[in-house]
Amino acid sequence: MSSGKSFAVLGLFDSPDALMGAIPKVRGKQLGTLEAYTPYPIHGIDDALGLRRSPLGGMVLVMGILGAITAFGFEYWISAIDYPIVTGGKAPSSWEAFVPIMFEVTVLFATFTAGLGMLLLLNKLPFFGHPVLSSDAMKAITRDRYALAIESEGEGFDAEAAKAALLAAGATQIEVLPEPDRGPFLSADYILRVAGGIFAACVVAGLAMFGAVKLFPVLAPMSHMEDQPRLNAQKADPFFKDGFGMRMPVAGTVARGYLPLGVASQDEAASLVNPLPRSPEVLAMGKKIFHNRCELCHGALGNGVPTLTAAYGAKPANLQAQQFRDYPDGKIFWVITMGKNAMPSHAADLTETQRWAVVDYVRALQRAQNATDQDVKEAGAR
Amino acid sequence: MSQQNRSTTNLLRGTLAIGAVGVVAAFLKASPERFWANWLLWFVLLFTVGVGALFLVALEHLVNAKWSVPIRRIPERIATLLIPVVPIGLLAIGALPVLFPGTRPEALHNKILAGKAFWLSLPFVSVRTVLVMALLILGLAVLVGGSLKQDQTKDPAFNIRARKFAPAFMAIFALAITLVAFDWISGLTPEWYSDIFGVYLFAGAFLGGLAATSLAVLHLKDQDRLEGVRKDHLYNLGGFLFAFTVFWSYIGFAQYMLMWYANLPDEVVYFQTRLTGGWHVVTVLLAFLHFVMPFFALVTRDAKGDGSRLRRVAVLMLAAHILDIYWLIFPILPGGPHFSWPEASFALLFLSGALLWVRGAQQKGEDMPVGDPFLKEGLEFRL
Repeated sequence: MSSGKSFAVLGLFDSPDALMGAIPKVRGKQLGTLEAYTPYPIHGIDDALGLRRSPLGGMVLVMGILGAITAFGFEYWISAIDYPIVTGGKAPSSWEAFVPIMFEVTVLFATFTAGLGMLLLLNKLPFFGHPVLSSDAMKAITRDRYALAIESEGEGFDAEAAKAALLAAGATQIEVLPEPDRGPFLSADYILRVAGGIFAACVVAGLAMFGAVKLFPVLAPMSHMEDQPRLNAQKADPFFKDGFGMRMPVAGTVARGYLPLGVASQDEAASLVNPLPRSPEVLAMGKKIFHNRCELCHGALGNGVPTLTAAYGAKPANLQAQQFRDYPDGKIFWVITMGKNAMPSHAADLTETQRWAVVDYVRALQRAQNATDQDVKEAGAR
Repeated sequence: MSQQNRSTTNLLRGTLAIGAVGVVAAFLKASPERFWANWLLWFVLLFTVGVGALFLVALEHLVNAKWSVPIRRIPERIATLLIPVVPIGLLAIGALPVLFPGTRPEALHNKILAGKAFWLSLPFVSVRTVLVMALLILGLAVLVGGSLKQDQTKDPAFNIRARKFAPAFMAIFALAITLVAFDWISGLTPEWYSDIFGVYLFAGAFLGGLAATSLAVLHLKDQDRLEGVRKDHLYNLGGFLFAFTVFWSYIGFAQYMLMWYANLPDEVVYFQTRLTGGWHVVTVLLAFLHFVMPFFALVTRDAKGDGSRLRRVAVLMLAAHILDIYWLIFPILPGGPHFSWPEASFALLFLSGALLWVRGAQQKGEDMPVGDPFLKEGLEFRL
């Protein structure tokens, strides 16, 4: 440790008051940098020592603002430039949606700057070679003594004068410290030993695991219910002669509520009769279904002015057109059941009754959009 | 009382008289909605400042804080604002149906309002407001009255009593600020509701109380009436102000962002009115005055303990708090932000009145709680 040259002189004091009293006396002599080592923080000591204000606050502020700008730029680039998508009806460049992420990244940058900046940049850790750590006074400093050090500022450090100054200021004990050991912290030897230790630990753990699995092979780890004695969809099954796991219904089977229409084309369907009465309940049901399934393309009035044209591209039928107003109920029912052009079949989603209710509602829409004076009178009478 | 003090008092009495004339004229000339909206603005504003100061006092007792003992008398004096503000402000109960649709008979025809007809009904609103205000005044009597009495008796038992009472007071406080927020502000638009609204008003109220406290502390310090109150105490006030500007913005923005995202018609209408037309400017100004400016003014370590900067930030904060309450209440009046002679008269009357009251209160008791056994410890406080 000792390089012969002294780096600092350490004076021990018995009480914080003695230390605080000594600081101005020693400071006036300007023998070197003053540093205090105490078991706990002492109020006002940084002012007494004349320590410069830590630049950490400024660093944190700058990095925090940088974090906010980074997050905003990143979010803006993703959402508005690179892959603009309308989500929830908001414009791609909605700043409101960016704020939580800006906040998080600001905090992230700021805390990392605070933590790493303090430890690595300002305190220059890790550093185990500081002479105070291996001084005789170390135990006392961490327990019940208060140390004041005069540290060398380069050439011309007068250890004898520093000693005398500390003694004159009331130090009860003096220790001269050697140069700090600034040898590389990560020596080849150290790295080898750490890497070797990790490797050895891996080998031991791997062997132990191997042994455990070999010795207790019946203990399957989590199987996540993969193996179950049941029939899986789309899988072969030896139980049936043809080997198919999924079965076809017997020929001629009709599901409840799904009787065949008995017509083969839209023109034939014109003969179908709407079984439902045009009651307020039926119209309410039809309105709800229309609202959920039809309105997106045909528009709320059924006039083919929908919300989705731009995104969808197809041209939905204008149900208010004379052609469709002249359609018999059955032809509309057929289209809902079978689909037409780009319109898919709704037979799987809607029961027959529901489909007829929609037909009734479409009729109501058509009449409402083409109401006559007579209609208005009737509605008024009701 | 010095010559300067007396002339300030006379000036305030003059502005009070001018304001009073203006308010009477507003009662006769302006629409009742506008008159009572002004009344409500100043009731809520002065109430929040008083109750925010009282919260600071109760907080000290609750957490057994020592640093604030030397300056505790100041928020205690400001909290006495509640004594005139509560009865005068509550005259507005008589005008509830003018401003609050939920208290009108036709509310029963509205599906949403009919569902909470009892909660919104005039008798229940009045009764619960009066009850919770009475509880608050009780809290004021226990905390502030007891503290004033301790000046003479020097009885440390008060500290123990106050510490035991503080948790109960916090419950009363939470109830009071939530009810004021819901009944007296949110109730203006009863179809709009936000669970966090009470917290929002609390953040503003605490900021208002803190700003008023900081201003009064700095004012008394200038007159050398707070010997021993140092930068360290100011730093804590500044730190509190700084923290709560961020808290206020956090709550305000969280409330806005969720409603903006969900985009439900009965929710967004609240922000729609405030983000279109003349109100848009006010909203941006509010964000700037209530958050951006105080945040950057107080962000450095030196700024928080710097008396002259703290004074400016406190004035700014009070102004921003007035703007905040104005922003909450006035959009119910159609046709953009109103500011004209009725508003100015109300401001003159209530500001002068409040200042006169607080100046009068400055003569109450000692300037520091001399009977508090922790006063010395508080004076020795170092950061």
